[in-house]
Amino acid sequence: MSERELDLQLIKRIQEGEQEAFSLLVRKYQTRVANILTRYVRSSGDIPDVSQEVFIKVYRSLPNFRGDSAFYTWLFRITVNTAKNYLTSQSRRPPASDIDAEEADSYDGSGALKDEENPEAILHSQEVKRVILNAISNLPDELKSAITLRELEGMSYDEIAQIEGCPIGTVRSRIFRAREAIDKQLKPLLEN
Amino acid sequence: MNKYSQDISSLIDNELDDKTVINEIIDDAELQQQFSRYQLMGDVMRNESPDVDLRIDVTDGVMAAIANEVQFDNVVPFTSKAKDNVTSFMKRFGQYAIAASVAGVVVISSLMVNQGSITDPNATPVLNTVPFAGSAAPVSLEVAPSETKNAIKERNQHLEALLKDHQLQLQTQP
Repeated sequence: MSERELDLQLIKRIQEGEQEAFSLLVRKYQTRVANILTRYVRSSGDIPDVSQEVFIKVYRSLPNFRGDSAFYTWLFRITVNTAKNYLTSQSRRPPASDIDAEEADSYDGSGALKDEENPEAILHSQEVKRVILNAISNLPDELKSAITLRELEGMSYDEIAQIEGCPIGTVRSRIFRAREAIDKQLKPLLEN
Repeated sequence: MNKYSQDISSLIDNELDDKTVINEIIDDAELQQQFSRYQLMGDVMRNESPDVDLRIDVTDGVMAAIANEVQFDNVVPFTSKAKDNVTSFMKRFGQYAIAASVAGVVVISSLMVNQGSITDPNATPVLNTVPFAGSAAPVSLEVAPSETKNAIKERNQHLEALLKDHQLQLQTQP
């Protein structure tokens, strides 16, 4: 099942009345939505509210979603429009140039709005990143290699199996064990 | 460890065809949290959250807000049969139209070629597939994904830099 197929399947469930399926879409995309919003919303304290507004708009618009474009592209447009409306409501002008969906993920944020209001948030985010990267650097080589090829190179299990010279089931297991090892460090931090 | 933990990992990687797992995740709060954390790991590794407060989780707020919204009981999903029928009709109609157009062009072209051969028998054929000089090189559809490779290289460099920076921090800490 491709990413697009998974999204479409979740949307189909929601359109058929299974509201709870929407929570997976929120969990899947909320970091990316927040990342887009940082380009527009100056105060990090407002980002949760605007994020929430984005997803509520998405939910209300789902009856109109026909699957002609990828869900993320559609979500991206709603996010940018919501951010612009937010700026207008705050009597601020939207930025002169937009970023589009294709470059949104690779946008380095140079010149983007930076948060200097909330050092606690910055410290916490740095701690989360530190824990994740530390856990990765301490993984056994075969687990580190598998998770890196998957998450950074975007390779399929089949491609990783060919590179590593092992069965697909082993790749599946290694990637899961890598995530499990990282999760052991990450979970307590997020729960606190 | 939940018995579905590995399935969540596979689901995130788009490597799971068992749709029943989605039901299990939707119904289990702990599995949903795990899904979020696994997603977060990837976001951090790919540096998709450089300026984001990673504590933000709006899921509960969003679900509470839409709880009172009208559910889409009457919405026809986009994969509905009705749409498929319209789509297949339009697709078939389009195919017939294209086929008719191509046939028309071929007939007109052949008429023009025949007229040309009557007036000038030594003229170069309209559909000359033999190159004037040298030999025809094989055509390849292979295109080097240079941008993708560069993007991958940059990501790797970024991860390396992050890891080095982190190790440096560990060394400098008392």
